[in-house]
Amino acid sequence: MVSGALVFQSVVLGVLLGGLYALLASGLTLYFGVMRVVMIAHSAFLILAAYLAWYFHRQTGLDPLLSLPITVPLFFACGVAMQRLLLARLRPATRTMMSVLLTFSIALVIEGALGTVFTGTQRRIPLPYSGASLELLGARVAVVKLIAFALAAGAMLVLYLVMTRTRFGRALRATIQHPEAAQLVGIQTGRVAGYGFGLGLATAAIGGTALALDSTIYPSLHWRWIGPLMAIIVVGGLGSVVGTAIAAMVLGMAMSLLQIPLGTTWAQTVFYLALFATLAVRPQGFFGGRLAKRF
Amino acid sequence: MRSGSEPRSGPTPRPIVRLAAIAVGAALILAFPAGVDNPYMLTVGIGILNYAVLATAWNFVGGFTGYISLGHGALSGLGAYGTALLVTAAGLPSFVALVVAAALVGVLAIPIGAAALRVRGASFVIVSIALVLILLLVFQSWASLTGGSRGLVVPRPFPELRRAEHHLVFYFLFAGLLAVALAAWWLIDRSRFGLGLKAIREDEDKSEALGIPTFTYKLVVFVISATLTALGGGLYALWFGDLDPVFQFSILTGSTMVLMALLGGVRHLFGPLLGALVVGAGLEYGKLAYGDTPLHLVITGGLLGVVVMVMPDGVIPALSSLFRRWFGSREASIREVTAAELLATRDDTTEVGR
Repeated sequence: MVSGALVFQSVVLGVLLGGLYALLASGLTLYFGVMRVVMIAHSAFLILAAYLAWYFHRQTGLDPLLSLPITVPLFFACGVAMQRLLLARLRPATRTMMSVLLTFSIALVIEGALGTVFTGTQRRIPLPYSGASLELLGARVAVVKLIAFALAAGAMLVLYLVMTRTRFGRALRATIQHPEAAQLVGIQTGRVAGYGFGLGLATAAIGGTALALDSTIYPSLHWRWIGPLMAIIVVGGLGSVVGTAIAAMVLGMAMSLLQIPLGTTWAQTVFYLALFATLAVRPQGFFGGRLAKRF
Repeated sequence: MRSGSEPRSGPTPRPIVRLAAIAVGAALILAFPAGVDNPYMLTVGIGILNYAVLATAWNFVGGFTGYISLGHGALSGLGAYGTALLVTAAGLPSFVALVVAAALVGVLAIPIGAAALRVRGASFVIVSIALVLILLLVFQSWASLTGGSRGLVVPRPFPELRRAEHHLVFYFLFAGLLAVALAAWWLIDRSRFGLGLKAIREDEDKSEALGIPTFTYKLVVFVISATLTALGGGLYALWFGDLDPVFQFSILTGSTMVLMALLGGVRHLFGPLLGALVVGAGLEYGKLAYGDTPLHLVITGGLLGVVVMVMPDGVIPALSSLFRRWFGSREASIREVTAAELLATRDDTTEVGR
C-alpha cells in the first residue's frame, strides 16, 4: 500500500524537477520563437555547463554556484555567435530541418569533446550540504534540490521580467510575433534574434549549474535530457511559453509519481508516451497556436 | 516540375555511358573480395555495404519527401533484434526469421509513421529521435527477453562454414540487398508515385491542393524504407552474431545514415552509396588510428556540421555544378535554390511571418 506521505513526497519532488524542466524548455521555446529552429544541442550545453561548474569547483574549491558569473555571460556570447555565424546562414527554405541537423552535430561535438577532455568517468561535486535535507510537512527534501529549484524559478522570473518590462523584451516579442512588421517599426530583427538566442543558451548555463549540484554527470547524459525536453515542447505546443511551462510541470510530476509503482527507468517512458499521444490526438500540441501547426 | 538536379533531366551523360559506369561499379563491388587477401579488409567491405544499404533505405524517406529522420537506427535495431529473437526464442530458420522480422517492422512502421508523419519539419525529427530513445530504454530494461546490456547472441546461419567463408557469403548477401534497395529506389524515382513524393518535398501544401494523397504517399514510402532498413539490420544481426542495445538503438547509427546520404546527395540514386563509401572508410580508418575514443563523436559531428553548412545538397551536385561551370552549359536552377535566392534578398528572419 502506497502511503500518503510517499505520494506527497513525490509531488514535492515532481514540482522541483518540473521547475528545472520548465526553465530549460523555456530556452528551447525562445530559440523556436525567434528562429523557428529546434535546438538539439540545448541539453548538451546543459551538461557542458554542469561540467564547467564541476571543473570550477575542483580547481578553486569554491561553491559551484559562483561559476555562474562566468558561465552565464560565456553561454550568452556563445548563443549570439551561434545564431549569427551558423544558423542565420542556413538556407531559409530548409532552415528548420537543417538547423536540427546542425545543432545535432554540435551536440555530438560537445559530447565527444567532454569525453575526450574529462574522460567518460562519472563525476559528482562533493558539497558540504549535499546530504542536508529539510522536513517540509512530512516530506523530506534535499537542500540542493531546493537550491536548484530556486535558481530555476529565479531565472524564469528574470526572463519573464526581461521579456515584459524592458525595451529589448518588447523588441524580442515583436520579432517573434511578426518579424516583417517589427522591421517596419525599426527593430533590427537579425540582431534581436541573436540576443534572443543568447538568452536561451544562458538558461542552459543556469540549468546546468543547478543540475551539477545534485546529480552525477557524464558526457552522454544529455540524451537523457533532450528526449523529455523535446517531448515537453511538443506536448506544450511549439512556441508557447506558458504551454511548455505547464507541460513541464505536469509531466515532471507524472514521472515523479509513476516512479513509485514502476521504478525510475520505466517512469521515463511517460514523456515519450505523452509525445506520441499528443501527436495522435492533437499534433499542434495542447497550447500551441497558429505557429505550431506549420512545424 | 523542372528540376535540373534530377538524374534524368539536364545535361547528363548518355544512357550507354551511364550503363557502362554502373556495370563497372557493380563489377568493382563484386570483385572486391577476390582482390583483398586478408579477412579484415573483407569485414570493412561488409561494414561499408551495410552502411550503404541503411543509407539507401533512409533515402526513401529523406530523399523523396525531404523528411529527415534521425530515428532510422531504431528501425534497423528492431530488425536486428526481431531476427535474433525469432531465431533464438521462436526457433525459426535464420533467413525465414530475417524476412518475417522485416515484415513485422514494416507492419509496426504503419502506426509509427502515422503518428510521426502527421507533423512536419522539426516535430518529425523530434519524434524520430524519441523513437530511438524510447526503444533503447525498453530494450535495455526488458532484460528477460533481450538479454539487456549483457547482449544477445545470435546463432550463425551456416555453422559448417569457416570464418572467412562466412564473411564472403555475407559480403554477397549485403551486395544483393543493396542492389534490391537501389533498384527499388530507381523504380520509385521514375514512377508517378515518386513524382508525387518529390512534389511533397518541394511544397506539401501545394501538392495536397493538386490532389496528391500526401499522407498515404508518405506513409507508404515510410513503410518501404522501414522494411529495407530492418532487412539491413537483421542481416547485420545474422552476420555479426552479437547484439547490444546501446549499439543497436544508438542515435549515432541514425545520424551516420543521414550524414552519408547528405554527403553523397539525397536526390541521387547513388548518393547514399557514395557517402557510405567515404564515411564508412573514414570511420574505419578512425577506429584503426585512434581506437574507440570519444573523438569519433567529434569527427562525425564536425563532418555533419560542415556538410550541412557548406554543401547541403551533397557531393554529387556540388561536383557536377563545378563540372558544368568548367565545361559550359549552365544548369537550370532547381526550385529550392530559387526560393532561397528570393528569400535571401530579404532579411534572414522574414520567412517566419509567411
